Amino acid sequence: MSTTRHLVNRQRRLASAGAARVATEAVPQERASTLDPARRKPSPRAEEPPQEAVEPSRRRRLPGTGTAARARLRRVLSVRAPAVLCVLVVLLGGFAAFAAARADSLGSDPAVRNAALTDPARTSEVKGQTEKAVAALFSYNYADSGPADKAASTLLTGKAVQQHRDMLAAVRAQGKDQKLVLTTTVTESGVEMIDGSRARVLVYADQSSTRTAGKKPETTYAAAMFAVDVARGSGGTWQISGIDTFGQGS
Amino acid sequence: MARMTTQPLLIAAMALTLLAGGFAVWAGWSWYGAAHDDSAAYAASRDKALAAGEQAVQNLSTLDHNDLAHGLDMWQDSTTGDLHQQLADGRSEFEKQVQQAQTVTTAKVLDGAVTELDDRAGKARVMVALRITVQAPKEKPAAKDSRMLGELTRTASGWKLSALGQAPVGNSAAN
Repeated sequence: MSTTRHLVNRQRRLASAGAARVATEAVPQERASTLDPARRKPSPRAEEPPQEAVEPSRRRRLPGTGTAARARLRRVLSVRAPAVLCVLVVLLGGFAAFAAARADSLGSDPAVRNAALTDPARTSEVKGQTEKAVAALFSYNYADSGPADKAASTLLTGKAVQQHRDMLAAVRAQGKDQKLVLTTTVTESGVEMIDGSRARVLVYADQSSTRTAGKKPETTYAAAMFAVDVARGSGGTWQISGIDTFGQGS
Repeated sequence: MARMTTQPLLIAAMALTLLAGGFAVWAGWSWYGAAHDDSAAYAASRDKALAAGEQAVQNLSTLDHNDLAHGLDMWQDSTTGDLHQQLADGRSEFEKQVQQAQTVTTAKVLDGAVTELDDRAGKARVMVALRITVQAPKEKPAAKDSRMLGELTRTASGWKLSALGQAPVGNSAAN
């Protein structure tokens, strides 16, 4: 098994380290070659890797042997470099996968997805349109129900259509008899959440209802608070898709 | 011969390494971007302010005459600035009133929203829809919905209420 290079290396080691150390070092080297025959046997270069450990010192001591050193370097590159690169690929790939997962989880965090206030333009758009829609939907004039009908047909979508119909049923039924004018004004509203084309707005509104059927018109005020879910329909207008009165018929 | 077989291997390994490196740089960059996103930080502040505001409003609407000291400590702990001062000043008189009335007041936050947030100045305004239940002795509990408006100020120990009131009703629409 020993080549001439083997012997040269071995002698050099013997010279630099003590005889005792070499004895222990030499054993693992031999063992490695017998334990790992698959890696070592297939090519004639198989015996070389252990020697490469002493390569730098050898090169320094023998600067004259240019072509031999270059050939050696090429062999080192051809065997070692792919292995090192493979390790690098695994490490970089691992980091990349981890970083991508972190970035993804940060980006899909509901708190971050919620654009309420973080997107001022969108927030004021939602707020403004919701306030207008609520005012139009919950106002009614017995003399001319046109605007109320128009609001109901254009500003509502989904289950809010039925919710709104139920809420205004009494007003519409008694409207003519009592000569009822219902006016709703939004006093405060806050956008809780905007996620793409859906949003939720908390609304405080004042409702004044004036009955002019009697001798003296009487006006009552009521405070209302509710939340509405709104959805961005085609044409970019926000429509009310749900009304949450927190368990109270308003 | 050896060069013929190992060189393509080396080139393939280098290409793979470059690819992995590029992917790592891109992923690292997007991770950094996501972690240092200004609007993400603003969103986090908004949610913190809302959570603190809802909790503080609930605290200030909760009081058990059997456990006055603890309840009122909680009130003072949830507030700062003028509101804190008012509560501290009126505390002894208020204690007397509640002890006489023997009421137990509980509150449930129905919904809340941040309407304004100045992250730098540490100021925020919140709306909190609240259902307050008052239980007086020998009476049925009475529930009442309240439209609360609160102003929050950021302190060293988090967001605290610096003002709290109910949204006015009635002719306010004309204002």
